Amino acid sequence: MPVVPTRPYRGPKHRPVRGMDMNECASVRALQARQKRAAWVADQIVPYEPRMRAWLSRWRVSPEDADELLQDAYCRIALLESLDHIDRPVPYFFSIVRNLLARRHRRQRIVSFELIAEVDAFQDHPSHDIEDQTSDRLVYEKIIALIDRLPPKCRQIIRLRKLEDWPQKQIAAHLQISEKTVECQIRLGLRAIREAWDKQEAQARNRSDGRFQAGAKIR
Amino acid sequence: MSGISGSNMRDDAVAWVARMDAGGWSAELEAELQAWLAGEPRRHGALLQAQATWSMLARKCGPHSQSPKARIAGQDDVATDPAPDRAVLNRRALMVGGGTALAASLVGGITLIKQRTVLRTDLGEIRHVPLDDGSIAALNTGSEVDVMFGSARRDIRLNQGEAWFQVAKNRAKPFVVETGPIRVLAIGTAFSVRRREAGADIAVTEGIVEIWSEDAGSQRTRLVEGQSVFLADNARLQDVVVASASGEHALAWRSGRIELVDEMLVDAISEFNRYNRRRIILLDPQIANKRLDGFFRTDDIDGFARAVNATFDVPVDFSRPDEIRIGSMQITT
Repeated sequence: MPVVPTRPYRGPKHRPVRGMDMNECASVRALQARQKRAAWVADQIVPYEPRMRAWLSRWRVSPEDADELLQDAYCRIALLESLDHIDRPVPYFFSIVRNLLARRHRRQRIVSFELIAEVDAFQDHPSHDIEDQTSDRLVYEKIIALIDRLPPKCRQIIRLRKLEDWPQKQIAAHLQISEKTVECQIRLGLRAIREAWDKQEAQARNRSDGRFQAGAKIR
Repeated sequence: MSGISGSNMRDDAVAWVARMDAGGWSAELEAELQAWLAGEPRRHGALLQAQATWSMLARKCGPHSQSPKARIAGQDDVATDPAPDRAVLNRRALMVGGGTALAASLVGGITLIKQRTVLRTDLGEIRHVPLDDGSIAALNTGSEVDVMFGSARRDIRLNQGEAWFQVAKNRAKPFVVETGPIRVLAIGTAFSVRRREAGADIAVTEGIVEIWSEDAGSQRTRLVEGQSVFLADNARLQDVVVASASGEHALAWRSGRIELVDEMLVDAISEFNRYNRRRIILLDPQIANKRLDGFFRTDDIDGFARAVNATFDVPVDFSRPDEIRIGSMQITT
């Protein structure tokens, strides 16, 4: 579905800082720090979420519990002072998830996990990496597909905002609707996309089964 | 913007992301957000997850587009190394050479000569061996397999242990695994056979196999993907109970792992003892039937013992070099 118009927005990237008091400055800095961390997570972790969910489901973790575990793991990341010490984000995140799961199991019935090998394999195995490159490319296509499934108005606004990089304000002016309406549509769109992303586990599971078979062929 | 339940928390987080995205962020809004976050620590996670998803939507593909080739090259380097395989291939090459010479001297005679290769694994060793016909054999710990490929058949004899086969399709040459009197005929498929005391475990991971025992008449039965069975050497097939087990966990050994899913402790211990010289001894029969889950390397016998120690709160004695003792001796009155 084409979005009209496709004229790129060429306005200022950031709001001017002049005229703000100290508090405003601090709050904008806090906002930017959060956005930077979110961008890192978007790049390094979120694409691997479906695979972690698939792994969790093999351990008979229900989708709801998987939601909770992942969210708790994100919470750890959010509360870190800095991310500089993390040089292998996926194994790092995965080990947080594993520890949370092990703790939960211990509380209930069972054991701990010796998953170091698995966690390393997540990163080191060449064939996994190749697959990840593929899915890296696929991630973009998947995102486009998710956006395309939104209702028309919502889709148009999300596309203008994310793919054309227009600010919300500009979108409101262009579509002659209120800024609140734009914000609301973005909220609805993001929620729908988040929920759809959470449900990608089944596909990832099929892929990882294929890899499991393939693992026996290598060597 | 408040809510206790998980889904409300997520909706609120999404709303905050939309608000942050709108521009015009202020000290008041920041303070309001901080107050919301402080209300429940897990909101930090919900917010980061929502914001990352939002950030991902602007993601462009292709920053790593050139690395796969380098990685493939690296993989090839690794793949050229495995010395045991090379030894087998050399031995096989010798066999082929000998066979050809013999065949040449028998021109006009009946050529029933089969090339025979013996594959073996030590205790704790796991090997993946490509076979001449394009099939793959994976040998588990302490196993021995004779590979005899002739012009009309592909015969495999499992002398001991366990092996998994991924069979290359070839209708003209049936692929038959024998162990004792038991026969498994592959019909374009992947399956495992494990030699037991008086029979064999057979599990099918792909396609269909036909099984029978030479000792119990030649009546055959079929197993399909996902099914597994213990077939006694002298079993009548009508007595056999087919299970639909999750073969995936049972075949984790192919990548050097033991996956325990709802396994009894006593079974888990005997599984580890298959792979390790150092044995685990269970002294306390009362916990033998406790069930556990876990994910280990086949050689990580210490890690397993420590996990048992932490989970069931039983003493574990590592002091002996040849065994690990779990539980304390029960004194019966």
